Amino acid sequence: MKIIKTKDASVDEIVTVLKKGGLVIYPTETVYGVGVDATNSDAIKKLNLYKKRPFGKPYSIAVSDEKMAKRYVFINETAKNLYKNFLPGPMTVISKGKGRVAKGVESEDGTLGIRIPNYVLVVDIVKKLGSPITATSANASYKKRPYKITDILDNISANQKKLLDLIIDAGTLPPREPSTVVDTTSEDNIVLRQGDIKLKSRNQVRTFSPEATQNIAKELWQKYEKHHKNRAIVFALKGKMGTGKTVFTKGLAKALGIKDIVTSPTYNLEQDYGNGKLHHIDVWRLRSVAELRDLEIDKYIRQKSVIAIEWADKITDAVRPMHEDAVVLWVEILYGIKNEERIIYWGIEKG
Amino acid sequence: MSRSPIILAIDTSCDETSAAVTCGTKVLSNIVWSQANIHASFGGVVPSTARREHEIAINGIITRALGIAKIKEYQIDTIGITVGPGLAIALGVGIDTAKALSEKLKVPLIAINHLEGHILSPLAIPTGKTRVKNLPENIFPAYGLVISGGNTVFTQINKIGSYKILAETRDDALGEALDKGARLLGLGYPGGAILEKFAVHGNKQKYELPIPLSGQESSRFFSYSGLKTAFLKLVENEKAGEGGLTKEKVYDLAASYQNTAFNHLLRIIDYIIRNDYKKPLPYLLVGGGVSANLEIRDRLRHMCKVKRITPLFPFHPKFNGDNAGMIGVAAYFKFLKNEFTDPKKIDRLPNLKLGKNK
Repeated sequence: MKIIKTKDASVDEIVTVLKKGGLVIYPTETVYGVGVDATNSDAIKKLNLYKKRPFGKPYSIAVSDEKMAKRYVFINETAKNLYKNFLPGPMTVISKGKGRVAKGVESEDGTLGIRIPNYVLVVDIVKKLGSPITATSANASYKKRPYKITDILDNISANQKKLLDLIIDAGTLPPREPSTVVDTTSEDNIVLRQGDIKLKSRNQVRTFSPEATQNIAKELWQKYEKHHKNRAIVFALKGKMGTGKTVFTKGLAKALGIKDIVTSPTYNLEQDYGNGKLHHIDVWRLRSVAELRDLEIDKYIRQKSVIAIEWADKITDAVRPMHEDAVVLWVEILYGIKNEERIIYWGIEKG
Repeated sequence: MSRSPIILAIDTSCDETSAAVTCGTKVLSNIVWSQANIHASFGGVVPSTARREHEIAINGIITRALGIAKIKEYQIDTIGITVGPGLAIALGVGIDTAKALSEKLKVPLIAINHLEGHILSPLAIPTGKTRVKNLPENIFPAYGLVISGGNTVFTQINKIGSYKILAETRDDALGEALDKGARLLGLGYPGGAILEKFAVHGNKQKYELPIPLSGQESSRFFSYSGLKTAFLKLVENEKAGEGGLTKEKVYDLAASYQNTAFNHLLRIIDYIIRNDYKKPLPYLLVGGGVSANLEIRDRLRHMCKVKRITPLFPFHPKFNGDNAGMIGVAAYFKFLKNEFTDPKKIDRLPNLKLGKNK
């Protein structure tokens, strides 16, 4: 593993590493990414090992421009509009793939996410290499967002480190959101991840599996993690029975590094995980807001804890004032059309 | 001490205020005061009401338990008290009462895990009997199963006090799933017991619901959240369908849902016994509110018969739900091992687990 500063980085050197199937950590306008030649299947296997991802979870790719993108995906009208308005920039546009990348890069349905980074070095690398590189964040699954090199190196194992060939260090990147991910392969645009670019006035994403809902919880945690330990963070969860409020909390616990099994707290009203790292409360069986104080939520807020409250909409009057001492994030989960489809909205409670 | 100790046991883990007097595994009295009726008008538990009701009821319940057992306060040798898992503020009421009594009577305290109480509840015997019928002195290692509103856990009881978790729920408890199913059918909450009554009249093959974790039995988990969601969709479809939600449909839906929930439970248990044991252990102890359900009893009995396991259920329905009698039985075994608890250190443990994870 070699670390070079951006100012000393030579595109030729980087491309040589990539051509040999190497793993390169590189800066972008969002977070640090990890790139391999997306047409090299051995390199993709190596990347899977590094990311600790099961096979079958796809990767987005970085290309230099729309023309290059067209070699790899079919760009429909919707996608064309997005390219025109937002790219290059922090957006990943998913289209139907042409099967020209290594196995495991496109999704099982044959779709592929395209990213055109607004970052000259990356575009130069891709141009010189002549093929796209993977555009996935440089952290392992469910680990801290990588804004500086130590964010990455402090959170991976020695074996993972061995897989890294080259690191391009641009110092600490500004804390921007990861790219907004938009799927253009169905009739309307589906936002799968919400970054700085918003297509709708509300924060909204769709998920198609419980795992994806857990993943959204992780991403929301990473968005607000910076407040952790300065203020309490309250996830006020709203949604009909069975939409996945407990599933969401499972993702949250995972992002907090908690190993305990997260179960529904309906019966006991509250549960603690990771020795008080996360308080999981269910107010479904509660009827009166005034009685809520017996659950000691105030204490958890004073202790600047992380709290997930299921059925928070039943106690809106109690949740509203919490924003004075806590970051209160409302998360609403709705049933979608397909069986496992969910639409997730979120927003911060403001005074 | 040649005779068995007289134990006063107290349990206020959730909605029930309960006190019991036991002598060995013999239960001299077991008073359960349920708040279910008070809460029904609210449609749920109101925690501070729960605390207030526990506070109001507890002394009277203890007096009554002692009266029925014909035991005077000075005859009490020790006090068994539930410290968790459960609703924190409700647990607190029982613990405070037990501490005060222990100080007043100068008798030691024994902290009890509510789940251990449920697991050992089949060992309770009524007055007039000396032991559970045909049971040898030592039945361990044995299987233990707790199925209730707050817990679903299958264990190997190595010996009393030592449990290995074989499977537990990763989302909803079985009793909670049945209660919520009843709610979706408009049968009120908690309505698991009413669901059972409706299910008796229904055709359990009428509706096909996905058996949770089918094909993934090796995960060794119970899971009810997916079934609950599938049931919600099914009920909504039927509501929107021809004739709406008729009584016949409700019968069939209740039967199909309960059947699928039980199928899942049995499949996981069956898988574990088949794969993890050359020869099944000789006994299965079953406790918890759902074990009052006659259908699940029949099916567990059937499974046990095939596997040559002897199933043990509590001798009286009162021991299925939350009750202090089972806490007294568990306390007796702790007493034999001198496992007393320092009153200064006793505290509520709302998230208490039963044993080590697999």
